[in-house]
Amino acid sequence: MKVNFELNGRSVSWNVEPGTTLLDALRAKGIVSVRNGCDGEGSCGLCAVLLEGRQVNSCQILAPQVEGKKVYTVDFYSKDRKLSVVQQALIDAACVQCGYCTPAVTLALHELLERSPDPDGDEVRDALSGTLCRCTGYEQFFNAARIASKRLKEPAYAEAAAPEFAPELRHVGKNREKVDAAALARGERAYVEDRVPSDACHLLLLQSPHAHAWVKKVDVSKAEKMPGVVAIVTKDNCPDLVYTTAGQGFPEPSPHDQRMFPRKVRHVGDRVAAVLAESPEEARAALAAIEVEYEVLPPVLSIAEAKKNDAPVVHHGKVSYVVGDPPEGTSTEGDGRDDPILYQFPLHADPHRNLAASVADGIGDLDKGFAEADLVIERTYKGNRVQCTPMEPHVVLTRMDGGRLVIHASTQVPWHVRRIVSRVIGIPEHKVRVIKERVGGGFGAKQDIVVEDLAGWLSWTTGRTVFFRYDRAQEFAASRTRHLMEITVKLGAKKDGTLTAILMKLDADTGPYGQHCLTVPMNAISKSLPLLLCDNARFEVKSYYTNLAPAGAYQGYGAPKGSFALQTALAELAAELKIDQLDLIEKNRVRSGSRIEILRSLGEGRPGAAVTLGECGLGEMIARGRKAFAWDAPKPAADGDWKIGRGAVIIQQGSGLPGLDAANAEIRLLQGGSLLMLSGGADLGTGLDTVTAKAAAEIMGLDMEDVSVVSGDTDTTPFDKGAYASSGTFFSGNAAVKAAEDLRRKCLEAASVMLGESVADLALVHRGVIKGKKGQVTLAEIAHQGVQGEGHSELTGFGSFKTEHAAFPYGAHFVEAAVNVRTGEVKLRRYHAYQDCGTPINPALAMGQIYGGVMKAVGHSLYEELLFDEKGKPLNLGFLDYKIPSIYEVPEDFHVELVPVADEVGPFGGKSVSEISLNGTAPAVAIAIHDAVGAWCREWPFTPERVLRAMGKL
Amino acid sequence: MVSEYLKPKTLDEALSALADAASVALAGGTWLLVGEEHGIRPDLGRVVDVGELVSALVERKDGIARIGAGATFQAIADSPSLPDSVRRAALSMANRNTRNRATLGGNLGADKSCASLVPVLLALDASVEYAVRSADGKAVTKTAPLAAWLDAKEGLVLAVAFATPPGLKSASGRASRTACDVATATVGVAYRLEGGAVMALKIAMGGFGPHARRMPKLEALFEGKALPSKAEVEKAVEPLLGAISDQRGSADYKRRRGAVILADALAGATEVTA
Repeated sequence: MKVNFELNGRSVSWNVEPGTTLLDALRAKGIVSVRNGCDGEGSCGLCAVLLEGRQVNSCQILAPQVEGKKVYTVDFYSKDRKLSVVQQALIDAACVQCGYCTPAVTLALHELLERSPDPDGDEVRDALSGTLCRCTGYEQFFNAARIASKRLKEPAYAEAAAPEFAPELRHVGKNREKVDAAALARGERAYVEDRVPSDACHLLLLQSPHAHAWVKKVDVSKAEKMPGVVAIVTKDNCPDLVYTTAGQGFPEPSPHDQRMFPRKVRHVGDRVAAVLAESPEEARAALAAIEVEYEVLPPVLSIAEAKKNDAPVVHHGKVSYVVGDPPEGTSTEGDGRDDPILYQFPLHADPHRNLAASVADGIGDLDKGFAEADLVIERTYKGNRVQCTPMEPHVVLTRMDGGRLVIHASTQVPWHVRRIVSRVIGIPEHKVRVIKERVGGGFGAKQDIVVEDLAGWLSWTTGRTVFFRYDRAQEFAASRTRHLMEITVKLGAKKDGTLTAILMKLDADTGPYGQHCLTVPMNAISKSLPLLLCDNARFEVKSYYTNLAPAGAYQGYGAPKGSFALQTALAELAAELKIDQLDLIEKNRVRSGSRIEILRSLGEGRPGAAVTLGECGLGEMIARGRKAFAWDAPKPAADGDWKIGRGAVIIQQGSGLPGLDAANAEIRLLQGGSLLMLSGGADLGTGLDTVTAKAAAEIMGLDMEDVSVVSGDTDTTPFDKGAYASSGTFFSGNAAVKAAEDLRRKCLEAASVMLGESVADLALVHRGVIKGKKGQVTLAEIAHQGVQGEGHSELTGFGSFKTEHAAFPYGAHFVEAAVNVRTGEVKLRRYHAYQDCGTPINPALAMGQIYGGVMKAVGHSLYEELLFDEKGKPLNLGFLDYKIPSIYEVPEDFHVELVPVADEVGPFGGKSVSEISLNGTAPAVAIAIHDAVGAWCREWPFTPERVLRAMGKL
Repeated sequence: MVSEYLKPKTLDEALSALADAASVALAGGTWLLVGEEHGIRPDLGRVVDVGELVSALVERKDGIARIGAGATFQAIADSPSLPDSVRRAALSMANRNTRNRATLGGNLGADKSCASLVPVLLALDASVEYAVRSADGKAVTKTAPLAAWLDAKEGLVLAVAFATPPGLKSASGRASRTACDVATATVGVAYRLEGGAVMALKIAMGGFGPHARRMPKLEALFEGKALPSKAEVEKAVEPLLGAISDQRGSADYKRRRGAVILADALAGATEVTA
């Protein structure tokens, strides 16, 4: 049927099906700025349009309903590639991270300012109430609204988005526009979904309805004859090998235990069959025609069940090792039916007893330490499964080009994608090209190869272009979750609070497969225990297979759960000792010059070494928080039913994996004297490309607009380990620094020849001029000679970064919470995050990373939990039932303060900033709840119900 | 998926189209079209778009408030002519994008247990104006108490009306995990205070059955008595609420939460004429 309406000020007349949503109609016509984050629930708001001047969700409007109406998308404001006042304000306020929500936010603020030119905070909150954002933490949206409001009256209005640092540098430490922000704010084509050609085939999955079952028979005889069907893959015709989906450096510390289509499904949502068809409708119809015969098995639905002697066995295939022998007493013979398991090296595993990996170590004499203690406490903490929920779910486009497989990926690890997919297909790596598109949020979930293996295989075998996107329910059920962990902490202390012994016993639930099964739980130890100085410390980590949703990486890795357990236990100890919890932290924390002996046991799979800490900013951070919260004065009085409590914690993270990872970058001097940075780093919305651009501009004496960055393309950029383990700025940034320094050296040498002066007499000054004692030459002139018939060659710089140096960012988080004594509800009145990221490369963007990290942690602390029924079926597979924070959940006084302590190895002194931000919220809130109502909440999320139960009121 | 889209120009046409059992009335679409994007919902078949056919007018005249079925939640929330309890109920749907589309008529038609407007309208003893098809195919307007209409729905809702006499106090309440969550419990209350006693008390709640409905047993607890304290309400009400455990909480917690919002509503009710 025909629908006539006004779109962005122009009349259009479109043919649509009666059931076509406005979202689908717009995207089909190339309006890609309307995004799909919730598959029609109406809960994410990313498909928003202005309909007759009102912000509405286009996924819940049928296209025929807009007959005769006026519809506006963000494209209206991006006309002629210009930026509206709101778009520019969002960029200036550092609100564009992954950019997936930016068009919707832009429309909401335009609508708001139209009806309320001077909006207050409540109005901004209300205007953005329908838009979910996972990156920014919403806080800087308030700044953007204020800036836009003022600029509408006073166009030249400007304000500092954040404090600035490193006065000796031109760009580093200064607030500069994120290099991809304008394109993302305009809603231009940037993501995988924007690259899909009209003739692409569509891939849909048939997923297991059972948590644990043999797949006895998959009958595709009817389905394969159906119209439009190109190929069907099942356990019977998929590649017969096992691999890990973990995008980690090879050899991975994760068992290879996953077949493309397993003979035995191990969780609800596991792969059973895939249909590739020429349209989604045809794929859907063929899926429905596949008949599957299962032999249902009892599932393992908890760590306790997994440990039982007679527990069902999640993996019963033959176990083998590439290097090393099986641990003594473990079972390796398979049942002759299940898929095999291959360990690259021993992880102290016993899969046939559901133990995927384990490790134990420590320092000192634990028994002696506890014997010397005046007080010993032992507490168990549980952190439940939560989902990463990037607003762009897992998505991939694969195609053949010149006999090679090209993968357009939304990934954090392009090189690991290339390695794993080429191995799955059985082709050498040179046959595969991975192009990382802009990523609509990753947060760890996209460190795994969740969709690329299958789509790549089908493009390779059929020659067709394949589009494969998880819908939101699939993203919840079959993406990667934060491991459920149960951590028992035993602390011994003297009466004065001095710790004499620490024992952390951690059990993790890795789910059906073992990606990250050892490293995530180990991270819970390695990023919490080294914060405290204690001569006697030990940890015991075990990771179990179950039949629940797959676990994996999530921002913070294991650290948020380790921090929750240890920091809360420390506060419980303080309460028992009747010592102020902050005083107890002060007594036992690491500080400048501390010798951290426990690091001998925390070598990430290699022998570790004790470290003598350089300067540590924890003291300053604690002092600032103590002052801001008037810690030593009485806390605020109760407000009716709401009792007030305060909590504070210290946190840490790493900056990449020293000795394990590597990053590379290349930089080219182009004609005219501009630069092309080829970075291996994977910017997933975090601003890494801006870090590398800044490095280039700073070192080459140029401005940001003189640099373009191409990154994460395995054909055109050099190897990088990927975006994980807080490595972006430290590793990829350092590679860019080294590349730029290499190019600067070459330019100086070329100038020396051109000017006839020694290099020692030359200086590269702003803007792209090399000055000597006698003369000067510009970078443009040097570049020009590089492409002429005489003189030097084209100049490129190359940088490779590896290190044994560990750069620890530290932080102190302070919370003031209100707890309703009748309902158990918790409100965050104040949240202050004091963090050291070394020299902040982009201060406002760094603060945005912290706001966003904290809000994700607010989610897992108070609201988020993936729930299952008694058969292992997930219960909350959408944003209607799984609650991530909206702008309404942002703390009233939400404050981030950078307290930099420059690192001697980091780029310009920089360290990591993002992941650490998630480590403080759960323990700080738990401590504040106790301070308010006297109850310890030891299981996250602290739902009102759990709070009431902890209070003994339910 | 939707197979046919109709947009009738008259009530007669709309009722004729809706007479077919395969037809369903569509207004804002915020409930009806959940999941339509990817065919998650079962087939809707033929949808009849009545969103602009019914009035969206919101007004109060001569002590009677009247809300057109086409009025959006945002329009209701923005209307100074309506009692605070009704505006708050509309505003409790915290997602503005949804408020800009969701209509009163849709809320009544869907009649979900979590419906934001139904409890307060039931408490205010609202009546429904609706159109049915007569034997000769013409639209005929009828009026019925909202409570009765919800139990035996017929026709197409045109408007809801309720009296706002001096002395009548009313409140609405809602509990949810986050601001933009589906409600765990909702409440609407209305009563008069006569000589310190609660009179003509009406309580409606959602979240404690398949639909939001009046709660006569709860009304009987407090009718004719002095306004109870919050603690008294909670103690008396909590055991009487029937709830099920689901992803939004256990039955025990929901009973507690429901009792608390009822206690708060009774204590916080304000004059509807204000």
